[in-house]
Amino acid sequence: MDPFATLGLPRRYDVDPGELDRRYRELQKALHPDRYTGAGASERRMSLSKAVEVNEAYRVLRDDVKRAEALLALLGPAPGGERETVSSEFLMEAMELREALADAKHARDLSQVQRLAARAEALWAETRRQLAAVFSSLAQSAAPAEVACARALVNQLKYHQRLLDEVSLIREEAEAS
Amino acid sequence: MAYSKEVIEHYEQPRNVGTLDKEDPTVGTGLVGAPACGDVMRLQIKVNPETNVVEDAKFKTFGCGSAIASSSLVTEWVKGKTIDEALTLKNSQIVEELNLPPVKIHCSVLAEDAIKSAIADFRKKQAERNGERKAENAAPAAQPSQGGK
Repeated sequence: MDPFATLGLPRRYDVDPGELDRRYRELQKALHPDRYTGAGASERRMSLSKAVEVNEAYRVLRDDVKRAEALLALLGPAPGGERETVSSEFLMEAMELREALADAKHARDLSQVQRLAARAEALWAETRRQLAAVFSSLAQSAAPAEVACARALVNQLKYHQRLLDEVSLIREEAEAS
Repeated sequence: MAYSKEVIEHYEQPRNVGTLDKEDPTVGTGLVGAPACGDVMRLQIKVNPETNVVEDAKFKTFGCGSAIASSSLVTEWVKGKTIDEALTLKNSQIVEELNLPPVKIHCSVLAEDAIKSAIADFRKKQAERNGERKAENAAPAAQPSQGGK
C-alpha cells in the first residue's frame, strides 16, 4: 500500500500537515457511510474498505517515523533482511540516556527528567532534520549509500522517540501522584 | 497481546538486574539493540579466567516484557556454565522456555546476540591481556641492549 497515493499526496518526506489534514477530511467525508445508504452492498463494502485504507494512510503519514518507513518501503526491501543495527557508539549513548532517565525517575528528580527530555528532544530534532535532508536528496536519485543512511537515521529516530515516550510516561505519573 | 505466565514471572521478578564493572578484564559486556522497536539490552558476565566458568551475570534491558524476560532468563542460564557451554545457547530455547509468540521471537534473538557479544568481549579482553603479558615477559630480555654497555 502506498499511503501517499491513497491520500493523493506527492511522495516526499516533508508533508504539509495542513494539506494532509485537509485531504484526509475530504476523503473521510466522501467515503462516509451516510453517503452510501442507497448504494448496493458491494459498493458499500468498497467504500468501507477504502475508508479503512484512508485512516491507515493518515495514521502513517502523520507520524514522522512511520512516514519515513513508508518511503523506505516504497524504495524496496532492506538489504540484509530484517536485522538492522545502529552503531555501537549510538547504542552506548542510548543506553546511558535510558539509564539516566530510569535513575531520575527512581529518585523522583523531575528537574533531571526535564534536562534529559530537553537533550532527547534536541537529538530527535537534529535526527529529524538530517532525515529530511537525506530524503530530499533521495528524491533526485536513490543511491544505495543514501538509502542506507536514511535507514540508519530512521532507526536512530526510533530510539529518541522511545526515550521521549518514556519521558511522557514519567510526567503523567508525576502529575497523577 | 497477552504475555505467558513465564514472561510475567521474569518481568515482575527479573533475576540479576544490575551492572558489572565493564573495565574489569574478567568482565565481558554485550550491548545490543533492536532498532525496529528501540529496545536496548546490556548483558554482562564475570568469568573466572582460569576455568572459563561464568561466575556472575547481570543485565539491564530497556524494552518490552519479553525482552526483559529473555535477558533475565539468559543470565540465569549462563551462571555456572563455561563460556563454551554458554555459546551453544540458542534463541529457540528461550522461545520455548518463555512461550514467546512469533511476534516476540526477535526478543530472544536479541538476548542470544547479547550473550554472544558479551563472551566475545571477554575473549577479546583476555587476548589483549595475554598479549600484554607476553610483552612484559619480553621486556627484561630487551633491557641490557637498552643499557648500551
